Amino acid sequence: MNAIGRVVATELKPATPHQFHFWTATDTAIGIGAIVKVGGSGTGDEGRVVYGVVTEGFAYSDLATPLHDVVGAEGDPTRAEEAPTARQQIRYWTAAVLRQTPEEPLQPVPLGQVYVADDVDVAQALRMDTFLYSATPTAIPIGLYTSAGREAPVYLDADFLLGPEAAHLNISGVSGLATKTSAVEFLLASIFAHFPAHKGRVAAVCFNVKGPDLCFLDQPGDLTDEDRHRYQALKVPAEPFQRVRLYAPLKADGVNLNTLRTHPDLVGDVEPLTWGLQEVVDFAEVLLNRDDIDAKADAFIDFLRDRVLGKSFDDGFGTTHRVQTFADLARLFRSIFDGLEITAGGRSDTWRTHHIATMRKVRNRLLNISTRCKGLVTDDGPSSDLPWKGFEDRTVYVIDIANVDPLGQDLVFARVVSKLREQLERRELGVDAVVVFVDELNKYAPGDGPETYVKKMLLDISERGRYLGLVLFGAEQFRSQVHRRVVGNAGTQVFGRMDMDELATPGYQVLTPATKSKLATLPIGELMIRHPHFTQPIFVRFPKPPVLRGRDGVERFPPGADVPFEDAVVRQLVRLDRRVRPNQVKDLIADREPDDVRRALAAVRRIRPDDVLAYFRKVLGARVEPEARMLREHHAVPPLNPISDEPY
Amino acid sequence: MTWWRALIDAGAVAGGGGRTDEAESGATVGADLVEGSELQIHRVADRTGSPIPPAASFLNGIERWSVVAYDGVVQVVNAYVAAAVRRRDKTGVLHTTFERSRAFAIAPLDRMSPALRQALEQSAADIEAVAGELVEQPARYLEMVEATVRRGRARIERDLAEQAMNDIGPDEWLVIDGLLSRSPDVARHPRALGVIKSHGTQFLEGRGLERALTLPAGHRTSVFAVRGGHTRTEVYSWYLRLWPWEGNDLLYGLLRIEARAHADSVKRASELSRWLWAERAPLATPATRWDRLLYPLHHVEEYLKTRAPRDLQQGPRRASRLPRLAS
Repeated sequence: MNAIGRVVATELKPATPHQFHFWTATDTAIGIGAIVKVGGSGTGDEGRVVYGVVTEGFAYSDLATPLHDVVGAEGDPTRAEEAPTARQQIRYWTAAVLRQTPEEPLQPVPLGQVYVADDVDVAQALRMDTFLYSATPTAIPIGLYTSAGREAPVYLDADFLLGPEAAHLNISGVSGLATKTSAVEFLLASIFAHFPAHKGRVAAVCFNVKGPDLCFLDQPGDLTDEDRHRYQALKVPAEPFQRVRLYAPLKADGVNLNTLRTHPDLVGDVEPLTWGLQEVVDFAEVLLNRDDIDAKADAFIDFLRDRVLGKSFDDGFGTTHRVQTFADLARLFRSIFDGLEITAGGRSDTWRTHHIATMRKVRNRLLNISTRCKGLVTDDGPSSDLPWKGFEDRTVYVIDIANVDPLGQDLVFARVVSKLREQLERRELGVDAVVVFVDELNKYAPGDGPETYVKKMLLDISERGRYLGLVLFGAEQFRSQVHRRVVGNAGTQVFGRMDMDELATPGYQVLTPATKSKLATLPIGELMIRHPHFTQPIFVRFPKPPVLRGRDGVERFPPGADVPFEDAVVRQLVRLDRRVRPNQVKDLIADREPDDVRRALAAVRRIRPDDVLAYFRKVLGARVEPEARMLREHHAVPPLNPISDEPY
Repeated sequence: MTWWRALIDAGAVAGGGGRTDEAESGATVGADLVEGSELQIHRVADRTGSPIPPAASFLNGIERWSVVAYDGVVQVVNAYVAAAVRRRDKTGVLHTTFERSRAFAIAPLDRMSPALRQALEQSAADIEAVAGELVEQPARYLEMVEATVRRGRARIERDLAEQAMNDIGPDEWLVIDGLLSRSPDVARHPRALGVIKSHGTQFLEGRGLERALTLPAGHRTSVFAVRGGHTRTEVYSWYLRLWPWEGNDLLYGLLRIEARAHADSVKRASELSRWLWAERAPLATPATRWDRLLYPLHHVEEYLKTRAPRDLQQGPRRASRLPRLAS
């Protein structure tokens, strides 16, 4: 291999153990981000080898002052080109040390020859050899190092990406370049292809919070030959995810799905996501804003949760309640308020030590959610949920909450992540590790703003999730605006094209101006990676994800229009059992109350009987009895930061 | 270990210092006008056509020397001379085509003590013995040393020029820093030019001299034949002003060009002058004589400097001779 440069050091710019300078020919393949190796003559008897990544570049000539160029051209810029001899010039590079061998004693970089790193060198330089060539390899391809005309795979260590050593990934980049979502989609494909068997089973939960971004992960996208070549080089199948489960809440009508994946060919794969009172009350804190969080409200919610829900409860005014739905809860509140007004003659403003104002506030918050998130939260009836005890290996669970009220998004997010944490703690989820992909971290875990339940939960995942196998893949446009602990706990940091204003913030001070400049102009498909094994940021290219992009998906599979109530019921039943005849269903639900039909439909979804139509007919006959909740052990997840220790 | 270190270890006293600048010998030499009947001024600075030949090589040399040991009052000198030819490619970048150097000792061997002479002869591979009659006159001795070094430089420059002349292409020119006439073969070559920056020797007198020394920028004088004196081979010559001398001095930006003694040189004097005038850019800064130094020749010199032995890379010591203090 021919040397492409030579290390030079002066008193003003010496070589150190962490940085060195070298020059190359004017015409060179080296650029910012290139990995080089220092070796050969000048490195001493021990044959010290140093790997570095180019972080800065300079070019200058022997021109003493710009004024001399003006004089030489007689003040005419066009004449500057007429100079017959090119000034002696230099390409002078600064490189940050990635690795030295031997590593001890750590010494300044020798003034040796500089070579372009080959594939083996790249593995050495990035310390990938330790997890790539071990008996139990844990390498996950993240992309190809393509500087200096090379194409070397770059791997992340699964132990540091998905735990337990370190975990979490944070990706930043400007919007509109499809970099963040694409990178995560590719990385998930890579994880599914390379997650080591000895580490168990892995799944991913992705929250679709924008348009159709993640709605077509099971559909093949258009790949170029170059993309396929990269997939081949990275040993990742260039095909869409084999197992994708999509969940979306229903619309306000309770039967049509609230998602953009409603094309007739695809809508059958979408599972409804609906929750009842019990699921909401467990996460009532999510619904309360900062002003609402007080000990009184908290105590009253706990009271409802422990004493009222799912139990026979005497309101003290002569009525016994069994609260299982929002409708039941509304009746209870009405009974209490009427009781206070009529029985007590309006003279008392407390009930069971709870002030009427506190009760009214809690009632408003709880009942409001069933209005604002109608379709996700059912006012009356059982729920349709994720398979909390049956997550499948290498499966992507997409929860489409793009069209849900922000409060409902928070609720979904909080409950899903909390349930994942709960199930992983019990080892009952069905998989050993779950990647949770959350876009728009700016919104969910901002660096400033109120301490919301969602933010506290993201902090909790960031700081403790790696022990459980709960891994956060977060994405945002402005990393500087995300909570420091969420970003700081991400073992792997990924950067797409960045805004210059963002790069001017203190979090990027460690980067050289040249690296910042490269980040500000990064093309689609190129990323800068920071990983615990890499002592310096590395630029890689990744192929386009093998799935249909959201906006391509809605073009290829245009969303279907909402279907009439009867047809929507038929569609859902047929999805569960293809033997179901539409006319039979329509006959059954004719002249029935829509709420009764919805309840029956929910019961069928929950039970999933062998004979769908028969069971539907059976439960439609009478008011559907909700799930026997009184037998259900209360598994509410304790607040991460209890609002108050004061008992109600 | 260097040979003079061996010499010092054997008992010689360490020394230091030297001189590097070359100056054309001061004299008046006769010249015959070969272009017109009276020395005239010809304008060359116009931008018509492309006067720069497609291929050109540039030859320059350096010399370095330093007194490195004393044997009594005998000064023993370490000397280094080098020369290189660098060819300019189509992109204007220079590449070395020929290069030669010589590192040698200069000493009056017959005046040295037997032990130190033996040490010198055993450790130095190349020794230039000089006469010892000036040993007791140190200043004149050093002038003789300097002349010896200069001759050594001239010798390798001449050899290199002859070698380069055999190699250059049919349209290629060789521009030499200094006299063209050192080598008859080179002096007679149709595409060789000498560029002289020092004007110790005067070839003109009276009105002609006045016109030459007050030549406006972008002009040349008529061509004259240089005869006798310091030149072995007759050449044609003319003056060319690169930069305005007004506000500076009479020699500011003034070059004397040498070409073969042939009618074609007279015919092409303006064309060649226009080429050399175009070589003003880029400026040969930070060289102090940038007004007369063509950048490619400066470039060759810089190249040679970087390759010179480290202990001779610095110029003559001009700093204080106070004892050096520890820092």
